Amino acid sequence: MWAWLFHRVSGLVLVLYLFAHIFVISQARLQGAEGFDSLFTTLESPFFVILDLALIAAVLYHGINGIRVLLFDLGVGIRQHKSLWWGVVGAGLACLAAFAVVSFSFIARG
Amino acid sequence: MPEARFRVKRYDPEAPVMIGARYDEFTVPYESSLTVLEGLFYIQEHLDGSLAFRYCCRAAVCGSCAMYINGTYRLACQTNVRHLHGDAITVEPMPHIPLVKDLVSDMTDFFAKYEAIKPYLMRNSKTPDAEIPQSEADRKKLDMPIDCIMCGCCYSSCPSVWGEGSYLGPAALLKAYRFEVDSRDEAGKTRLPSFDNERGIYRCHTITNCVEACPKELNPTEAIQWLKGATVRRRLLGRAK
Repeated sequence: MWAWLFHRVSGLVLVLYLFAHIFVISQARLQGAEGFDSLFTTLESPFFVILDLALIAAVLYHGINGIRVLLFDLGVGIRQHKSLWWGVVGAGLACLAAFAVVSFSFIARG
Repeated sequence: MPEARFRVKRYDPEAPVMIGARYDEFTVPYESSLTVLEGLFYIQEHLDGSLAFRYCCRAAVCGSCAMYINGTYRLACQTNVRHLHGDAITVEPMPHIPLVKDLVSDMTDFFAKYEAIKPYLMRNSKTPDAEIPQSEADRKKLDMPIDCIMCGCCYSSCPSVWGEGSYLGPAALLKAYRFEVDSRDEAGKTRLPSFDNERGIYRCHTITNCVEACPKELNPTEAIQWLKGATVRRRLLGRAK
């Protein structure tokens, strides 16, 4: 059940993010090139980078678990649903770690 | 003599709503072979004759005594107190199903949904004088679904049922699978309308709670996924396999 619930919640997070994303970017555009640049300076702060990582975690979980669910629809791996879920978590964490390394080196560079 | 403590959820349909449900504690003499159902018998005979629960075969075959015991779906007759952890045994009726009284669930909807999927072999060809032959491999396909005792654990555990009361649920769909996969069945498309809709197979989101809940260790999710595939094949190719 938790695999499914996280899938739904991460999907909702992504939809809400999309609207927030469009809103923020379009607001910045209204303030011209300088406004756009200053917004991006804010978005590069550690707080937003960590928020970005949370977003990436949602994308990774929703995407990789989506593959798991598609396999079920093809009749593959239903009896292995638990080990497949741990596979999803493992693959997701591995990718997230790679993103985290890149992001934190980004923060460190300032 | 050692004792077992039972915490039993009570529900009185005639009591005002606010005090309709409560937990009662009972102390039952313990012996190593004591099952939860035997504990309930003791309570009913010696401690509180008003306790209501459903049972029949006492051998995990009839599916009457499915309950929520220490937070897990179990058959009371099959559950040995010795194997339960914690200082008390919490016995509750199956959640998300209307109650009649105490531990007795109202299974009216559950069995109406079972009837809805036309749970019988349908034949077009002339009925032979002898039995209808079936290969060993074809019979093997029925092993899993015919073990279902219709206790309702999967139905109670399914979030899709919680969200949409008209959804057929895992038990009825497992039974639909049992007949659709049977080599002797000639229903063709006649059974399809009962489950090929938003109240049927497509309401299953492979949450697999039913697989976890089933006390007979069956796999309704696998059956429903097979039905989805078979339905698409039947619609597009005119055959299920």
